[in-house]
Amino acid sequence: MFDAAAAKPLAAALAIGLGALGPGLGIGLLAGKAMEALGRNPEAVGPVQQNMILALAFAEAIAIYALVIAIIILFV
Amino acid sequence: MGKLLSSPKLLVIAIAAIAVLLVSVAGGALGASFGLGFLGGPIPFISLPAEQVASIGGYPLLNTTIMFWVGGLALLFVAWRAGRKPKDVPSGWQNLMEMIYEFFSNTVDGVAGGTPKAGRRFLLLVSTIFLVVMIINWAGILPGVGSIGKIESIEQWVHHHAEAIEEEVHADHPEYSDEQVEVLALVHLLEEHEFESFIAFDGMIVPLGRGEQARVPLNKIVTFSHHDLEVLEEAAKADALASGEAHDILESIHDDIEAGVVKSSFIYDEGESSEKTYDFTGKTAGLLIPYLRGASTDINTTLAIAIVAMFTVQVWGFKALGFRGYSGKFLVNPITKGPIATFVGLLEAFGEITRTISFTFRLFGNMFAGEILLIAMAFLLPLIGIIPFMGLELFVGVIQAYIFAMLTLVFGVMAVASHGDHDSHAEDH
Repeated sequence: MFDAAAAKPLAAALAIGLGALGPGLGIGLLAGKAMEALGRNPEAVGPVQQNMILALAFAEAIAIYALVIAIIILFV
Repeated sequence: MGKLLSSPKLLVIAIAAIAVLLVSVAGGALGASFGLGFLGGPIPFISLPAEQVASIGGYPLLNTTIMFWVGGLALLFVAWRAGRKPKDVPSGWQNLMEMIYEFFSNTVDGVAGGTPKAGRRFLLLVSTIFLVVMIINWAGILPGVGSIGKIESIEQWVHHHAEAIEEEVHADHPEYSDEQVEVLALVHLLEEHEFESFIAFDGMIVPLGRGEQARVPLNKIVTFSHHDLEVLEEAAKADALASGEAHDILESIHDDIEAGVVKSSFIYDEGESSEKTYDFTGKTAGLLIPYLRGASTDINTTLAIAIVAMFTVQVWGFKALGFRGYSGKFLVNPITKGPIATFVGLLEAFGEITRTISFTFRLFGNMFAGEILLIAMAFLLPLIGIIPFMGLELFVGVIQAYIFAMLTLVFGVMAVASHGDHDSHAEDH
């Protein structure tokens, strides 16, 4: 039904599209919670921010894996 | 607004900024759909593996390797400048390096337990990883990186890509002679990459102003039909290449590959929306192989750093807990501690491998995606589109370096912490 060339961009789009869904939710939750914590305790900006960025990187890494897969599908 | 109108200097700057914006919108890929696009380059070629720029006695010198050396030299230079004439009250380079040292010294101690010098053993590797990764990330967005290079001709490209196919064919059919294998590989290559596009160069430079049209597909450089390929394949299999139709076809294909110029038949026509046509006849076709490319956009670099980091984490673990103590984290006796603990131990061992992989892909993915983003923005909005993303890339570069260093530190602290409840009581006094 599909030939390989037509399925390639579709597969790449699905990979990054679905793969960005979870991390997107995760980053939203993370940042929301961090803001909440800052609202309660504004003096803790330093550690909250530092830990938030570290955790954001973990969540973001999952989207990056999907991106790597998409890039591999497209260009290799 | 009133202030803007009353001050001629501000007004001139505002008008110039708007003019640059309009020029870049019109000149880029957006303008190209309205028949403008005088600044747009061809759609860039994105290569996942690093490209080889030279070979030194059989050792392939990659563009990312050169960039890593550049980063290393830059770090050496900074260290030399900082340590040349140390002063009691630091200034300049010394101040910068002391600031970085102090920051990491405090962070390492804080994560490793809070007491002064608690994280001394982690300091060296963690701060080195941070500096190295940051320098190579930032070096990747210097001007000239990825845009200055040599032209890989069609002949080299075919040679380069045919090698792998030749090996495959040879493995499948060891009875074929070298010539047969070569021709079969060529047939496969042409079949597979018929629409692979190349840049039609203007002398030595990538042509600007013709947008995506300057990308010429392979079948406009090398003339062949599907019938030709079938004839060639059959002749190659029957070992009848010496004469006849197949011989002529092969000759003409080889001639085309060697010439590597766009055939007379290729005149790009934009379609009905525009009357502009471009004639690329006789222009050299090929690919741009940049001399320099950001070292962290090569998966080998990031894998190497990740292996160094995770290997050192194991060394720290063995040093702190002893051979029995540290390996006891992964190999648990199922009879005395229960099968679940054994399984958890195995998972932990597996986790060390997945951590290495996630280190690798996190840095590689971020930096490679950043490079593609910059290329795409330069293509869509030349002149200005790239500026905010340059800033973003600077930020991402330092954040990724920080994450790499911090995760190494956290894994190291986890590795040296002894396992189990009774042990942890002994640790926190």
